[in-house]
Amino acid sequence: MKLSPLMRDRMTVFAMLFPTFLVLVGFYLYPTLYNLELSFTDITLLKLRQGGDWVGLANYWEFLTSSSSFHIAFNTIFWLTAVSVTIRMILGLGFALLLNSNVLRNMRMTTIARLILLVPWATPPVVAVIAWRWLFEPTNGPLNRWLLNFGLIDDPIAFTADLATVWPSIVTIVVWNTTPLIGVSLLASLQTVPGELYEAGEIDGANRFQMFRFVTLPYLMPTISVLTLMSVIWTFNNFVYVWLTTGAGPGTYTNVLATEVYLKAFVDLRIGYSAAIGVTMAIVMGVFGALYFRFFGLSDMQDKVG
Amino acid sequence: MQTFHKKGAAKYIENGSMLALFALFAVFLLAPAWFVFKGSFENISVSLGAASGGWTLNNYIRVLSDGYWIYVINSLFVCITATLLACTISLFAAYGLSRFRFPGRMLVFGSIMGGQFFPWIILVNPIFILFARAGLINSQVGLILCYTAFITPFTIYLLVGYLTTIPRSLDEAAIVDGASRFFVVTRIVLPIMWPGMVAAATFGFLQSWSEYLLALALITKDDKKTIPLGLYQYFGDVQVDWGAVMAGSVVATVPTLLLFLPLQRMLVSGLTSGATK
Repeated sequence: MKLSPLMRDRMTVFAMLFPTFLVLVGFYLYPTLYNLELSFTDITLLKLRQGGDWVGLANYWEFLTSSSSFHIAFNTIFWLTAVSVTIRMILGLGFALLLNSNVLRNMRMTTIARLILLVPWATPPVVAVIAWRWLFEPTNGPLNRWLLNFGLIDDPIAFTADLATVWPSIVTIVVWNTTPLIGVSLLASLQTVPGELYEAGEIDGANRFQMFRFVTLPYLMPTISVLTLMSVIWTFNNFVYVWLTTGAGPGTYTNVLATEVYLKAFVDLRIGYSAAIGVTMAIVMGVFGALYFRFFGLSDMQDKVG
Repeated sequence: MQTFHKKGAAKYIENGSMLALFALFAVFLLAPAWFVFKGSFENISVSLGAASGGWTLNNYIRVLSDGYWIYVINSLFVCITATLLACTISLFAAYGLSRFRFPGRMLVFGSIMGGQFFPWIILVNPIFILFARAGLINSQVGLILCYTAFITPFTIYLLVGYLTTIPRSLDEAAIVDGASRFFVVTRIVLPIMWPGMVAAATFGFLQSWSEYLLALALITKDDKKTIPLGLYQYFGDVQVDWGAVMAGSVVATVPTLLLFLPLQRMLVSGLTSGATK
């Protein structure tokens, strides 16, 4: 039997997308649904074989009413996400504006700056944490030695163990590792601002601040928004920075949702309870994901395959 | 423009302060990496943590003879295999999505875009259980499958973007001449989109090279560990072998630095393309 061209095309597409379909279903959809199922059970790592018993919403109830949840949620939302994303956006924008200024452009600094940005950007997060842990090291770390030598402090600071400095230290590491992406993206965007916009602003007698406020910033706003949204999603779920810097410590002082998921599953062995935290995280991030699709994803999809 | 012809002291002060600001940024961005690089060539006492002066290759020799090279080989094997798998899957998927219209196409592409943001911390539990039942714990096959799934969404996304720049008339001409789709993809489209493939592969390799969470959950045997896990072996409960850690860090970072250089422009345009339309 000879297939119609349409049927033949459909078969071709099916064959081409089948491996992707397996990946999406096998590693994204099915584990997500399975995780949802686990979150309603009391399954532990020790009784994996017999499986857990159905406990309904007990895990969710326990998590939402436990005394530590507020602290963990606050750490995740405020310190890990809000503070680090705000600082990286401001620094990234500042760096991009600086590099796009006439002074540095005339000195042909852009290439050098790109190379400088590349260093923290290309550094794997695991190594970024090591670099900063060494800088922050209390007895011999470069930062403490420097501060002591200049007489700025009398005793070394245990940056990642002292409650007063541990969150700023983690935020510094995240910012260092993630700002280059923001800087480079905004610089690329800045370089496409049409010159006529500035000329028009000049005719209207705008000063430099007004130029920035009414020409540059509105032009950059879409890029800033998409970068902010992506950063929020990536950082909110991030596990390595907190885990490798402090192990959620001292005690559980810097515990965040991602480290709590890991601790509950692989230290307390309570997979079911951990799954419930994961589902809660996914619901929160679903909101940001929806915003991303609403404002950027759909038009991007239209451009790519519309 | 008036402001750019400003004369005199004000301009010098302004230029000077901007340069100073730039220098400050540069120090912040470079210093941590520089200290690790420098420290990796110093004798640092394990018990005291203090450098005893002079340059040495001892850290590298100690780390590599200590079995760190096993982690390097494991990482290379796992990441390269996963990257090749992901790129092969992605090439066909991207072509199918870009060149055919079929029901559910937007759903598939939307899922792929969503997959890029998917929080793997949530998938760790279910994947751990499924892998435990399938005997894929401490298995490089398991890790390769995970990394393939982990990088595929972004590589497809990059390649779909790249394919929009290749005219359809090119492959349609070949189809009219009677070529099969498979022939078109591998012999006509692939050679043209080589730069896109290289970017996708580089990106996939880098993502899996620095992946820590899944490796931590799925690998416990020392001889199966990848570099990110291996690095943290040197953090003991009481003391840290800083010399070894820093030498290992340099070994882990040199490939990423080299690969990142040609990639950065492409990544930037890929990431924010939805916003700048």
